[in-house]
Amino acid sequence: MHASVSNKTLLCCFLIGLLPTISHADTSVSKSVEGFGVVVKNAEFTLQGDSYVLSADIDYRLSTRAKEALKSGVPLYWDIHIKTLQQRDYFWNKTLVNTGIRYRIQYHALLNMYRVRNEGAGDVTNFSKLSAALDSMSTIRAFRVMDTATYASGERYAASIKVTLDRDALPLPLRPIAYVNPQWYLSSDWTLWPLTK
Amino acid sequence: MAFDKIKPPVSLSILVLFGLILLLLQLMSSATQESSELSAMYSWLLLVNALGSVVLLGLVGANIYSLARQLKKREAGSRLTTRMVSLFVVLALAPAVIVFYFSMQFLHQGIDSWFNVEIDRAMEDALELSQASLDQRMRWHLRQTQQLTARLVDAPETLVTLEMENLRQLSGASEMTLFSRQGRIMASSSINPSDILPSLPDEHVWLQLRRNTEFVALAPVREDELMIRVIVTVKTREPQYLQALYPVPIRIADLADSVEFAFVRYQEMNFLRDSLKLSFSLTLSLVLLMSLLAAIWVAFISIRNIIAPVKALVKGTQAVASGHYDRDLPVTAQDDLGFLVESFNEMTHRIARASAATRMAGIEVENQRAYLETILANLTAGVISFDTVYKIRTANQAAYRIFHVHVNQFVGRTLLELVQSYAELTEPLKSIQRLLEQADDIWQQRIAFLGPNGRQELLCRGTPLFSQEGHRVGAVVVFDDVTDLIQAQKNAAWGEVARRLAHEIKNPLTPIQLSAERLQHKLADKLNDIDAGILQRSTTTIVQQVEAMKEMVDDFSEYAKPSKKQTVDIDLPRLVQEVLALYVLKSGVKFKADYDTGLLMVKGDPVSIRQVLHNLIKNALEAIDGKGLIEISLHRVQKNNTDFIEIAIYDDGPGIKDEQIEQIFEPYVTTKARGTGLGLAIVKKIIEEHGGAIWVDTSRRLPGTAEVSPSVGNRCDKVGAGFIIQLPACNF
Repeated sequence: MHASVSNKTLLCCFLIGLLPTISHADTSVSKSVEGFGVVVKNAEFTLQGDSYVLSADIDYRLSTRAKEALKSGVPLYWDIHIKTLQQRDYFWNKTLVNTGIRYRIQYHALLNMYRVRNEGAGDVTNFSKLSAALDSMSTIRAFRVMDTATYASGERYAASIKVTLDRDALPLPLRPIAYVNPQWYLSSDWTLWPLTK
Repeated sequence: MAFDKIKPPVSLSILVLFGLILLLLQLMSSATQESSELSAMYSWLLLVNALGSVVLLGLVGANIYSLARQLKKREAGSRLTTRMVSLFVVLALAPAVIVFYFSMQFLHQGIDSWFNVEIDRAMEDALELSQASLDQRMRWHLRQTQQLTARLVDAPETLVTLEMENLRQLSGASEMTLFSRQGRIMASSSINPSDILPSLPDEHVWLQLRRNTEFVALAPVREDELMIRVIVTVKTREPQYLQALYPVPIRIADLADSVEFAFVRYQEMNFLRDSLKLSFSLTLSLVLLMSLLAAIWVAFISIRNIIAPVKALVKGTQAVASGHYDRDLPVTAQDDLGFLVESFNEMTHRIARASAATRMAGIEVENQRAYLETILANLTAGVISFDTVYKIRTANQAAYRIFHVHVNQFVGRTLLELVQSYAELTEPLKSIQRLLEQADDIWQQRIAFLGPNGRQELLCRGTPLFSQEGHRVGAVVVFDDVTDLIQAQKNAAWGEVARRLAHEIKNPLTPIQLSAERLQHKLADKLNDIDAGILQRSTTTIVQQVEAMKEMVDDFSEYAKPSKKQTVDIDLPRLVQEVLALYVLKSGVKFKADYDTGLLMVKGDPVSIRQVLHNLIKNALEAIDGKGLIEISLHRVQKNNTDFIEIAIYDDGPGIKDEQIEQIFEPYVTTKARGTGLGLAIVKKIIEEHGGAIWVDTSRRLPGTAEVSPSVGNRCDKVGAGFIIQLPACNF
């Protein structure tokens, strides 16, 4: 009996000892107080010729930790997921289009500039201020999503958008922390709205 | 059994599991290297390993829980398992924790040692140097461009484009553009003729330009190409702006790039320092945790396998302790434990055989004892055995028959205690007790006492018992009721005397009588009256005495001859009635008869039985002296599983003295003035020849007479006397 107790206690101590190292010190600073996170402010589809194009405004607000990381040269990858769904009553919604935009933002010490790169298109833009860099990512205009041909009348469609920080693209030592520390919970929720012709 | 064969051996499963764990840990460790392809899977590997740890923890927990339950139930082998597991855990945990502690310390110190103030400063200085170098170049290009504007001021509008081409070639710029105040392109020249659209400054640049009139900055035109963008104001009537893009020499650009890369890398590492430590610690902890948990789990399995035969042994021992010798333990391995189990099986077999033998011996002994007890019980002699302090150990049935006391119920008590309950046995029991205590060897003694059936004579024979060491361990007393035997001897002796007397005395009596009568007849006439009178009286006396002697001799011969001449069924009530009919006419005597209903028949000689009744009634009549009450009763009784008819005759006469009771049935014992004293002796002889018994009933006192008697000594009036006769009844 005595032996098994000591056995358990040792294991418990070991596990308890690990916990504080995993959950980092600044977890207490809550997301809402600091006001960080990504919010899709508005998003809409408009018809342009025979294509639907997306216009959206996204508000990026980085946490202190993310800003520190960026300033230290850690590149941050952002994915803007765009989906159109065919809504069905008795079945899973059918995904018609699943596309997205991937941005990389990185600080260049030599030039003291923030460089934003659209990974899909390959455009690179430099900004001397972080806010300007973030602004450049926040406005999406005339992003072609799908053809009108896909749209069949009589069905209900919906569009959704979500912005996520790609935590798996962070430097390896940062990854476990990014999954645990709320400072790195920067992704937005899905924004879903009905799509009308 | 077939299922067992299909199942992979535990050791193989464990090996596979260990391999898997090692692979996972190796993968995770490799993934920690940034360059590795596995780095993308790092999070997943971490999760899988953490889950693996949780599963192992669950396994270990389940094992600990089951062990705790076994301990609580005090199951066989649980304590040994606990001790071995604890020992293993402590042995495994202690070095692992020490290694873990020092590894962590080493890790943290190692990572910290990468960073220090000098390198920090050197990095910043290097960056600053690069920036300063580029800055200097920028200023130089600014000055150069400003000087170039002078030539543009004077140039006519039509020749501006041409002039620009010259200026561009002169200055070595890769592109040169002239903007109007509104930002419209007025003229442009590029080293690359295919570039139709020149590089346009953004709003931020314009803003700065309007404020400072000049602008110079490094501009990364494409991703890895550095340009120095210079914009200066051309002081014409309408202010214009000249933008020149100078390429940074490749060597300088490379150097700056390299410095920046190193600086950024260093900064990043510095920023990630804590995370790096955490991630390495996490990996290390997971490795330790998983290997420890796996080791503990395997320890549980192996210890269980090792303990299994011990457990079986403990269970087997418990079974043997509770008397089950048929348990055969399976021999699982050919090691020391297997040998132990084999020896245990051998031992249980032997114990089983020995126990069976003991049981058989016990049964044998028990049979022997039962046999002896049966023999003892059926012995006619009473047997009582005693222990060292003369307490009764055993007594047989005959002891009861002789003493009329259930001696069996007094086992564990002494004879003297028996005396307290049965006062009538005081004399024989005390004698036996005294003899027991005194005798050191076999003794024999005849003891007489007055039992319920009259005087009893015992022949006692005692044997002290000794152990093999010579200590006294008790004694055995064997006693026989020899009353009947002695009586028979006496009777035979008296019969012989009577026969001789009859023969020897009766023969001369007739000549004596005849001679006396002849004397009387011959001499009566020849004598005078006086002498004749004397002769008359003398001869009469002789004749009378001879008659009396003849009677006496007849009585003797009666006594001597066998009474049971013929055997018929006798209806006793009728016989009694017939005999009484002869006496009822006697005045002053009251007869009272009391019979049981049903047949009261005996087998015997009716003449003899009639004589018995006559004798007893005559005896009673003589006792009451012609006045009083005589009671006769006939009852059916059962004694020793035999039916008897009991004839009881009571009178209310003076009774019999205690000292006479013992000898009343012997010849020549009488209380009366007249009589030969053979009456009761003959009665007794007849009854005994008929297989019956007769005794004086001392227990009965006539109602209303008991109070009168005590003060008058032994002989008192009206205490009454009674005789009880028991004759075997006829069974139809």
